[in-house]
Amino acid sequence: AAIPVALYGGRHAVTMLPGGGIGPELMGYVREVFKYAGAPVDFEVVEIGDENTDLEYALTSIKRNGVAIKGNIETKSESASVVSRNVAIRNELDLFVNVLHCKSYPGVPARQKDIDIVIIRQNTEGEYAMLEHESVDGVIESMKVVTTSNSDRVARFAFEYAKKNGRKKVTTIHKANIMKLSDGLFLETSKRIAKDYPEIEHNDMIIDNCCMQLVSKPHQFDVMIMTNLYGSIVSNVVCGLIGGAGLLSGKNYGDHYAIFEPGTRNTGTAIAGKNIANPIAMLSASVAMLKHLGHTQHAELIQRAIEKTICEEKIHTPDLGGTAKSTDVVQRIIDNILQADIRPW
Amino acid sequence: AVGSRLYSSEVKKCTIIPGDGIGPEISAAVQKIFAAAKVPIEWESVDVTPVRGPDGKFGIPQSAIDSVNRNKIGLKGPLMTPVGKGHRSLNLALRKEFNLYANVRPCRSLEGYKTLYDHVDVVTIRENTEGEYSGIEHEIVDGVVQSIKLITEDASRRVAEFAFQYTKENKRHKVTAVHKANIMRMSDGLFLRCCRDMAEKYPDVKFEEKYLDTVCLNMVQDPTQYDVLVMPNLYGDILSDMCAGLVGGLGLTPSGNIGLNGALFESVHGTAPDIAGKDLANPTALLLSAVMMLRYMNLNKHADIIESSCFATIKEAKFLTGDLGGKAKCSEFTNAICEKIAAASP
Ligand SMILES: Nc1ncnc2c1ncn2[C@@H]1O[C@H](COP(=O)(O)OP(=O)(O)OP(=O)(O)O)[C@@H](O)[C@H]1O
Ligand SMILES: Nc1ncnc2c1ncn2[C@@H]1O[C@H](COP(=O)(O)OP(=O)(O)OP(=O)(O)O)[C@@H](O)[C@H]1O
Ligand SMILES: [Mg+2]
Ligand SMILES: [Mg+2]
Repeated sequence: AAIPVALYGGRHAVTMLPGGGIGPELMGYVREVFKYAGAPVDFEVVEIGDENTDLEYALTSIKRNGVAIKGNIETKSESASVVSRNVAIRNELDLFVNVLHCKSYPGVPARQKDIDIVIIRQNTEGEYAMLEHESVDGVIESMKVVTTSNSDRVARFAFEYAKKNGRKKVTTIHKANIMKLSDGLFLETSKRIAKDYPEIEHNDMIIDNCCMQLVSKPHQFDVMIMTNLYGSIVSNVVCGLIGGAGLLSGKNYGDHYAIFEPGTRNTGTAIAGKNIANPIAMLSASVAMLKHLGHTQHAELIQRAIEKTICEEKIHTPDLGGTAKSTDVVQRIIDNILQADIRPW
Repeated sequence: AVGSRLYSSEVKKCTIIPGDGIGPEISAAVQKIFAAAKVPIEWESVDVTPVRGPDGKFGIPQSAIDSVNRNKIGLKGPLMTPVGKGHRSLNLALRKEFNLYANVRPCRSLEGYKTLYDHVDVVTIRENTEGEYSGIEHEIVDGVVQSIKLITEDASRRVAEFAFQYTKENKRHKVTAVHKANIMRMSDGLFLRCCRDMAEKYPDVKFEEKYLDTVCLNMVQDPTQYDVLVMPNLYGDILSDMCAGLVGGLGLTPSGNIGLNGALFESVHGTAPDIAGKDLANPTALLLSAVMMLRYMNLNKHADIIESSCFATIKEAKFLTGDLGGKAKCSEFTNAICEKIAAASP
């Protein structure tokens, strides 16, 4: 995505969509941390409720700012006519790819250690096309749509990412033995693009075997690409292995816009308002956002404070087996920012 | 109704499809163990190698179909899927032929075989006839392909009913419906509604609904929070393999296919051509599938004694096959189980 030009004084305006559940409290922590880190960002907060005008306003705001940070939006209605807001935003802005860098934090308790996997997921079509109808009473057809153009963009993105970041291998995840046309197209496209990157190894794996491998031998994976639904599955499996929903962040990119959010896209309704949600996932989304905007030093300042807090000082919320409150973790991060902050810039 | 049960104590005939690769050796191992436990079963061995039918197409031999239709129950080793286009997989053909609508896969940690996860004890129940495996696909315009996922009320209801019935009969407590109805509102929505409706008929069984992604997240963190999970075809395919991964892979997990015209129990691992014929294969998955079959036939005492002898042999770790890190032959492992059965038999 294009990087927006900073406003007067080097400040950027960013759309903030708190969403439901724990979203609002996590966004509060982001603003708190940004204040102490002196991050040159002004947030334009847009609440999205059940009204369609909210969604339109949010889209206008993101189009103006180019960048957003987002919590998960709950679509409460079970009605078939109400499209998931999260999907609507991604589709409207054509955020065709989701990138989730799953890297273990040393010192954080987890089922698997030393994981470093990049999940690159098609983000706008596939099983999330939301084209469904009832052909006869009690028989529903749901379309999964795969296109050459989107498969091409995702594969190219993945190989470019691998090349730029010194990655060695790309694995395409699919179920082309059953869905011969749709997943077949996705697989064939990635094989075709792979030919342009002879220095990067390419292989493929069937989604069910992939999940079995992930829970037993996850270190064989490097960069992975996949269609939308498999992306949701694989992202959550890997996040679960590394330490849960509260740690990692994901990035959604299109040609024009970028949105940053917690990696597993949970709402966390059950833990909302209890001061126990892990603030790290949203904070790391904010770090990724700062990097995207070119505020590298602020990003690194916050990232180091996060690492010091959870890897060295081991201040952990209950999801990581700790007893700290969300606000304890945030306060510690702020203290670490203040201690480290010599502001050379 | 959940398939026809066979309650009487007379000797029952069961079809056995030994299969390809290591299939014959592990099938022989199971038969030997069954004999040692004096299971009142007479095996009818059939070959399902495709033959050319009257219509010129290759398919399962009629005699094999007749055997399963007669006995209503079968045990199956791994089958090699013939390569080449247009050849339908034999597994798929069997599933269609016998209307095998529910796939049941219990996954349990085995004492004595250490994995990252202890105390796993979940059962995945997968709708087996429709969903993403409908096979309906087309190219709408150049470069735009669509696959259709088909969800029907009838299929959803019968698999939901099976899940609750299974939970009750096996003295389990909770059914989790796994879905993605936030995205696939109509199709997964229908599946979910069928589960909710069924839940009302089983007030003693706890019921919950979870998003597929949330289950993936939670399952790898703490699998003990789940008990029985019921879901559409693709989710079941993925989750059942993942759960098998938690407890050490497909070599240890049994599987049963419950149908309208019969039930077929099988090992889900492949034919392992690399070790076939060398007396190196681990028969555990097929044996535990056969144990599931016994429970389905209400031969619970025999099931218990075989299962506990198998677990004890693995726990003892004196005769483990290569896949479990041991050096024993398939026959040595089999004999060890038979000895335990003999020692435990009155
Ligand atoms: N930031 C966080 N810190 C700690 N735990 C979290 C966080 N985000 C999510 N979780 C946990 O991850 C799990 C899945 O999240 P969640 O309950 O939101 O899933 P969901 O299926 O989206 O349900 P809901 O509709 O309630 O959001 C829950 O156990 C939740 O408590
Ligand atoms: N029952 C078993 N006992 C021991 N090892 C096994 C068993 N089943 C599979 N394996 C091993 O696991 C690996 C994968 O086996 P599998 O048969 O699934 O291979 P495959 O190439 O997928 O075969 P197929 O094409 O028949 O599915 C092989 O190395 C095999 O030796
Ligand atoms: Mg499978
Ligand atoms: Mg195989």
